[in-house]
Amino acid sequence: MAQIAEELRVKARREGLKLAWKGRLQSWVGKAFIYLVLFDISFVFLSPVIYMVTTSLKTVADVLDPTIYWVPSGFNLDNFTLSWKALKYFPTWSAIQQAWTSGGIVALYTLLKTESAFFRSTIIAVLAAIGQVISCSLVGYGFARTKFPGREALFLLAMFTFLVPPQTIIIPLFIVYKQLHWIDTYRPFIVPAFFANGLRGAIFIFIFRQFFRGLPWELEDAARIDGAGWLTMYWRVMLPLAKPAIVVSFLFSLVWHWNDYFEPAIYLMNQENFTLPLRLSIFWTALNEVTGGQASRFFNEPLIMAASFLVIVPPLILYVFTQRLFVESVERTGLVE
Amino acid sequence: MSSQVEARPIRPRRLRIPLHTQQAIMGYLFISPWIVGFLVFLAYPLVQSFWLSFNNLENLVNFQIKYIGLANYIEAFLIDVRFLPMLYTVVRNSFIDVPLIIVFSLFTAIVVNQKLPGQGIFRSIFFLPVVISSGLVVRELFGQYQAETGGSPIVRGIDVPTVILLVGPEFARTVFDLINRLALVLWRTGVQILLFLAGLQGISSTLYEAARVDGASEWEKFWKITLPMISPIILLVAIYTIVDSFTDIFNPILDYIKNLAFAGQFRMGYAAALGWIYFVVVFLMMGLVFWIGQRHTFYAGER
Repeated sequence: MAQIAEELRVKARREGLKLAWKGRLQSWVGKAFIYLVLFDISFVFLSPVIYMVTTSLKTVADVLDPTIYWVPSGFNLDNFTLSWKALKYFPTWSAIQQAWTSGGIVALYTLLKTESAFFRSTIIAVLAAIGQVISCSLVGYGFARTKFPGREALFLLAMFTFLVPPQTIIIPLFIVYKQLHWIDTYRPFIVPAFFANGLRGAIFIFIFRQFFRGLPWELEDAARIDGAGWLTMYWRVMLPLAKPAIVVSFLFSLVWHWNDYFEPAIYLMNQENFTLPLRLSIFWTALNEVTGGQASRFFNEPLIMAASFLVIVPPLILYVFTQRLFVESVERTGLVE
Repeated sequence: MSSQVEARPIRPRRLRIPLHTQQAIMGYLFISPWIVGFLVFLAYPLVQSFWLSFNNLENLVNFQIKYIGLANYIEAFLIDVRFLPMLYTVVRNSFIDVPLIIVFSLFTAIVVNQKLPGQGIFRSIFFLPVVISSGLVVRELFGQYQAETGGSPIVRGIDVPTVILLVGPEFARTVFDLINRLALVLWRTGVQILLFLAGLQGISSTLYEAARVDGASEWEKFWKITLPMISPIILLVAIYTIVDSFTDIFNPILDYIKNLAFAGQFRMGYAAALGWIYFVVVFLMMGLVFWIGQRHTFYAGER
């Protein structure tokens, strides 16, 4: 009897061990599979960027050499210097110094405004992002925390504006801006942003409204007992708590404005005022103006890759430093509840 | 300890606004920037564009217009041989791309949501398209030029077996096109992955624990818990993807309207009509998405 019990026990232990091993193996295979998938997807996203960087370092000889694909033969920065000039990225140090000594800050601003596409892109993106954060946080707070007749209907209307294609409204806007003499200035990008409109303003209203709705009402009750008015409550109590929503809105607005092409292509007509993506669109003409040559796309892929890289490098650097904020804040804003 | 109560006279108020009226006034004040912006930068141009679509721009200098009735719309549907095919392409692309983007971004979000060492790095990589969303740069990377020199970097990187070249150039071309298109679609998923990820993290872990106790497999958990809980976000992602495609650099309508209105002939009336047709078509499309979404969306609790 005892022997049978012992045998059963041994058998059970063996089975249990087998099961444990099976489970461990399964989880190992599962993990390996997930990593494989992760690496695969990463490849889809990383390879164009890596290709862009490596190609931009190639010489014409490298392009023609069929044995060279990923790794260029040397570290050749000529493409970057040329594209830098063709994009009118930023004036040289000596030009800056000269402007500073000759006319101070005014001359420097004029120089940057006319000679630096990087400067123009930055001004538009930063000011528009600031405008959207300020206005959309106010509006989002209003929709989330105050009660007034027609609130739901107005909020629906605000969300509806997101669905209107820019193609449909751009022509009358152009006519209005033209009559206001806003064409070839930064105003068509910045002024609507300060009125909670502009590039995808509805999204930011939505983000702030969702965020403020999630905060406890006790905060406001306490503040009101302490004698805070509505603006104080917004400015002193709610806004400091809204850091995740502010960060997300600011970064997205900045990046979207930086990369925007359609609207700048219409509101900026003079090449002197082009933003970086617009300079990229006239790259070959601009390049031939700089070099006096007849360059075209053939065999010159390294040049356009260098130029493309220069256009995306500022948001890329920003992203490297803020990617934690980007990812964590979206999760903390309660964007999708 | 002696407590001293100060006898403070109650100040008589001249005007006493009830609290809820006060609140309503403050509410309108808070949203007033948007109301002004909406009227000036959206409602007015929308109405104006509608009016313009029945007119012809006669003089560019002072924007003199002349009423021509439905002529612009008749031209769009009956005379213009380029517009309707473009519209068809845009609608067809949406119907192909939206499901692809939903499936891929949901899949990626689920994979990257697993608690594994190093997934922070992968997350950062997957959001790269959010940053590099510059249409022109993407066009340089995936654009038609490279199709002539052997496919875009992504196609060359994937190392498609060269056997397909033996089957025939036409077949190889189709395969390259397909992969290129897929890569392009995947490159439009940054925000969508973020949305799904946020949604996945919002699902209460007690649901999964209960399912585990009941002996549900991962597969069942996905279909019975994850998918229903995340269905509102699927709707959101679908709408976002369609809106995102308006200004996509590969959207032919974008360039067509831009060139009609602002290059050469300045046919702003006709371009406005096309803009409105486009608006109505995408609006119907989104209505369809909403309709499908409403039937299949599961809302947990009252919302």
